[in-house]
Amino acid sequence: MERGYWIKSKPIYTSLVWHEKATSHLVLASGIGGMAALKLFQQMHPAQPVTVLYARYAQMEVDYSETLKKVVPDNLHVFKFEEDLLTELKSIMPHMRMGLRIYVAGSEGFIWEVAKAVKPFGVDDAHIMKEQTDTLARNVYCVHCKAITKSVTTNIVACCGCERMLFVRDHFSRNLGAYMGLMVDAESPGELPAIEEIYP
Amino acid sequence: MNMIDVRVAAIEQVTPLIKHFKFVKEDGSKLPPFSGGSHIVVALDAEGRTYRNPYSLMGSPTETDAYHISVRRQENSRGGSAYMHENISVGMTLKITHPVNLFTLAKMAHKHVLIAGGIGITPFMSQIEDLNRLGAEYELHYAFRSYKQAAFVEELQKACGNKLHCHSDSDGNRLDMEALLSNQPLGTHVYVCGPSPMVVSVLETAKNLGWPDSNVHNEQFLAPPVGESFKVQLAKSNLEVQVPAEMSMLEAIEAAGVQAEYLCRGGVCGRCELSVLESDGGLEHNDHFLTESEKASCKKIMPCVSRTKGKRLVLDL
Amino acid sequence: MALNFKQESFRDDYTYKNSAEAIKRFPFPFPEDQYMYSVNIEPHTKGKPGSVYEFPFDVDEHYVAECHDRAITLAEDAGRYQALPHMMDAQWDFLELAMESLANDYPEHFTLTKNGSVWTWENKPLGICDTFTFGDITTLPREPFDYMGRQVQGDFVLLDQRDETLYADAGMVTCQADWSLAFNVGMSWREWHGPVPRATELGVMDRALKYLMNLQLANPVRRLNWTMTVNPRLDTSPENYPHWGGDRNKVNADNVSELIHLRVELQSLFRLPRSNGIVFSIRCYLMSLKDIATYPRWAKRLHRVQKTMHPDLIEYKGMTKFHPLVVEWLSQFDDGADIGIGTQPE
Repeated sequence: MERGYWIKSKPIYTSLVWHEKATSHLVLASGIGGMAALKLFQQMHPAQPVTVLYARYAQMEVDYSETLKKVVPDNLHVFKFEEDLLTELKSIMPHMRMGLRIYVAGSEGFIWEVAKAVKPFGVDDAHIMKEQTDTLARNVYCVHCKAITKSVTTNIVACCGCERMLFVRDHFSRNLGAYMGLMVDAESPGELPAIEEIYP
Repeated sequence: MNMIDVRVAAIEQVTPLIKHFKFVKEDGSKLPPFSGGSHIVVALDAEGRTYRNPYSLMGSPTETDAYHISVRRQENSRGGSAYMHENISVGMTLKITHPVNLFTLAKMAHKHVLIAGGIGITPFMSQIEDLNRLGAEYELHYAFRSYKQAAFVEELQKACGNKLHCHSDSDGNRLDMEALLSNQPLGTHVYVCGPSPMVVSVLETAKNLGWPDSNVHNEQFLAPPVGESFKVQLAKSNLEVQVPAEMSMLEAIEAAGVQAEYLCRGGVCGRCELSVLESDGGLEHNDHFLTESEKASCKKIMPCVSRTKGKRLVLDL
Repeated sequence: MALNFKQESFRDDYTYKNSAEAIKRFPFPFPEDQYMYSVNIEPHTKGKPGSVYEFPFDVDEHYVAECHDRAITLAEDAGRYQALPHMMDAQWDFLELAMESLANDYPEHFTLTKNGSVWTWENKPLGICDTFTFGDITTLPREPFDYMGRQVQGDFVLLDQRDETLYADAGMVTCQADWSLAFNVGMSWREWHGPVPRATELGVMDRALKYLMNLQLANPVRRLNWTMTVNPRLDTSPENYPHWGGDRNKVNADNVSELIHLRVELQSLFRLPRSNGIVFSIRCYLMSLKDIATYPRWAKRLHRVQKTMHPDLIEYKGMTKFHPLVVEWLSQFDDGADIGIGTQPE
């Protein structure tokens, strides 16, 4: 069934810590990612200027905004939705300078939306510190119809574009911000392996 | 490694210490195009040994009727620079390698900040040709002791216009590294080539300001692994082979008429591996195949790239 | 050497056939009775006249038909060609390399005339004749990599070298054995290879990367890779897997020798001058088991290699369903004789 495609290539996420050397810092957090932002300020308050953008509603409807308002000295901007955070992010990036350090905490989908938003400004995603929170759900790129099905918690999913049943491989594309999905029953139509929810 | 035969077409004394050499292909055809920042290794046979010195290519990487290099005569030179200054004349033929690039421009940079110290200006001279051709945004900062000792200022002014910033010690116009690197837009890459203290200053300043390492570039030359000459005793063939400084062990063994196994000839596939029966010095492992412990045990060697630090090796071949 | 270009198909009715000459020059990849995965890279130097290694890019009797098959694949899915914006110098490097090689090595079929930077390229088998200015994209009907990639057999990937690794930043991929360019474009070496089955292979990947980072101008290298395909199908892409995956169910003892093709990839890598990138050329050769058995030495060797193949590798190469049938069919040719080392047919 699996066709012997064995490539596993997933990004590695870490826990956010301040870069020791920086000219300024930019923290982007969503949902439970707000906790990661609080953890940062618990470590210390950096000497350099810090900007924090926080989206309250992500996957889990958890809101750290009140606590963040108490902890983050200034330059905290709170948004209801991730889309609004991304819009603000794009508007402040042109003013940033080399020496800026970027940190993201949120779902994998959010992380790579941020990476995509800052890429046109010359920031390579390898330089963004990333912490995965909220959910292990994966975005899936259908290699047949090219559609991306978002927030998939199972190992097999129906493509939102062509409705084929796709097996989701652990092979990730940073450009697309998604894992590869390949038709699971091309050789035996209708015969599906067990569908398991293993990415809650 | 196939070399290119070139003829010295012109030599110009640019400053009291710097000579500019122009090479053309011996057969009259064009030299290969290259990427800005490349260098060639010039092989000079002199006084019983072969000098192999790397020099950055100046001039246009795409209009390659000729290659241009500049050589600064190093103080107390035992090596190639003195030889180049004193013994090379117009009309002589030399062998050079194909261009190699260990100092490439970052193709996706939003801006390039180039910092040159003295003779370190040379790799930037081909880089600015590429940058101009591509319409890229850049600044070139050229630091030198005095205008008298600075080569190519006029050429650079023509090529770069107001993108060139000269910093002459004699004017007291020193380059303020911190100021330069503090206010660059995101996506800027910085490149430095010059005396060690200047390179260290750029690397440290950038690091302290929070620049990622991959946005900071400095030129390093990695000449192919040549060392002293030594003897190799081939136990099974009952033959002694002299390995000259400019040949690999594998090449010398083959030149002696002995069949040796090989495949990649670059130190990664493992095919040429030989057992070392005796050695009178440490082994110089230049391969990427043997493990650290295998290298330390000195019982195996890859003759395509590795050598001995001693004078004699006995191999099981 | 004048070639007799065939009209044949690599899909639907599969009229593809190999001439006796094509069978004899097939790059049979197994020099020993047991197959071992390794960094089998060697210099891509001029090989024996008539062999697939004679020239940097090999053109054979399938040239025209393969180019037509590629054009169909690209018309159906433009995503089979990708080129990130910073790769334009590499595109021109590739065009120059391919045009100069073809014109130099097959002068009766291709000509290249240069008048300064104004070049005239004639491709007689495909009926193409264009004059353009090298370096000026407005003077070509398509961008350089797209233009020339459609005129050389095999897949091509242009690699950018930066940050101590290689990135697959452009590609024309229409005859791959199961990987998606649209998905992989922009990936680094580690990302697109990932951990390959069996731990030892990871060391192999790292060593191969170090070697390629050091690839020099005018010193190309090559290696062989292989797998097996049902039908002489070039497009065995993940994109079109729904169309060809089911073919695996059609193999039986009666048709195995005609349906199953040994698919050999002659992979070569060239350092590019202006971009300092690398072009990775993946030239595909398809040969049915029946045609392979024209040479008993090959049949015996192939039988022994397949019989002793590690099951993980069989699975990785997607051969599990029909592998026992392959081994069974080949066994009739194997008398156990010692045939020595080497890939020669006789």
